[in-house]
Amino acid sequence: MFEKLEAYLEEISHFLSGREEREEILAEIRSHILEKAEQEYGQAMEASLGKVIAAYGPARRVAEKYMDGRQIIAPAYNRYLFRYTALLFAFHFVLTIAAVVFKKSFLMFPFVYVPSMGPFEALFYLPTAFLFDLGAVTLVLYLITQSKKDVKLPWPKFSVDIDEVKPSGRTIGRIIGLIAMMALTSVALYFYIRYRTIFFVNLDFSQHRSIFTSEAGQWFSLILIGLWAISTISLAIKLVASSPWVDAVEKALSLVLIGLAFRQPFDTALAAPLPETPNRIFKLSLTITLLVICIFIAVDFIKALIRIGRKRLAQYKY
Amino acid sequence: MDSEISNFETEMNRGFLQILVLALLEKDMYGYAMVRTIRDLGYEVEENTLYPLLRRLEKNGWVKSKWDVGEDRPRKFYGITDAGRGLRTELLGIWRKQDQILKQLTEEKNHV
Repeated sequence: MFEKLEAYLEEISHFLSGREEREEILAEIRSHILEKAEQEYGQAMEASLGKVIAAYGPARRVAEKYMDGRQIIAPAYNRYLFRYTALLFAFHFVLTIAAVVFKKSFLMFPFVYVPSMGPFEALFYLPTAFLFDLGAVTLVLYLITQSKKDVKLPWPKFSVDIDEVKPSGRTIGRIIGLIAMMALTSVALYFYIRYRTIFFVNLDFSQHRSIFTSEAGQWFSLILIGLWAISTISLAIKLVASSPWVDAVEKALSLVLIGLAFRQPFDTALAAPLPETPNRIFKLSLTITLLVICIFIAVDFIKALIRIGRKRLAQYKY
Repeated sequence: MDSEISNFETEMNRGFLQILVLALLEKDMYGYAMVRTIRDLGYEVEENTLYPLLRRLEKNGWVKSKWDVGEDRPRKFYGITDAGRGLRTELLGIWRKQDQILKQLTEEKNHV
């Protein structure tokens, strides 16, 4: 019993599938290593075995050579993975918005269940839904690949080809955007420090009147300043390092901030309370506006995730 | 550049190694003996590449194997099958044709 050899074989066995095949492969590698140690170093001892094992290669690489040609998803289906996930997630997204707006649960047999939830919960539900959709599509493509049948899958066309999105923006545009955002954020921050709000009814700052109550004004102001600050930082980073991760993080943080806006009750937010009907219209308009902004940010977030996925796949291709 | 050449070499070796193994197994041999024989012929084969290749050839019925447990250590011996001989003939034909095309091209280039 040689410890090094057994540890090495044990490591290889972790990466191999199929019990019977695994035993056979390991027996053959064991026989080869012992024979080589004896023939080339006189006898099989821990030191000589160490050298032979090192020459045989890292356990993972050895195991991978037995898996040549066994793919989880056939390369031809890689684009389908993103296309179908985007489609399924769009469907999930619409149902989630409907669940938030109409406060109803949706059950679509056999596996789509969207519970009634608030906007804040929806922000945590959506990433989970995205991972579920990605997993479901991966499973289907995996089963098709393993069946080894030539399955022709439908290829739905979008008016905007979501998986061919390229990073946008030229450096000069980014610099102008950065300067504008920095100015906007600084001015907003100045007003916030001075007046504890950035939402005013009049522009006469000696007798300023806030749109919202003190508490709501502070809350909404901080969220808006936070959104502009995130956008400014993101533009600054993109000037020196272009990565879809920057967009993904920016959009995720923005979604969280907008979700926080829903924590403030809209019907008591106005400094001068409105009659019941206009107040209801105000509340509904604000909710719809924020949800529409959420949709746009979520679409950009999905695009960034798709770019990350495509980049990773491209790295594995060759 | 070196790593690029190494990648091309790996690609080319893949096909060559299959013909080489099929040619070698006219006489039954076990893995380590094959590595030694190939080395003696002036060519290097990675051990961790040879065994998976033998496995694939066996799965397709081009080689057969048998464990010999008679000696001090069990050894798995491989030998070519009739289907393997047929494949070897086909592959050698392809290789000769490729060689001929390349020779023709390089000769033409030398004459220009």
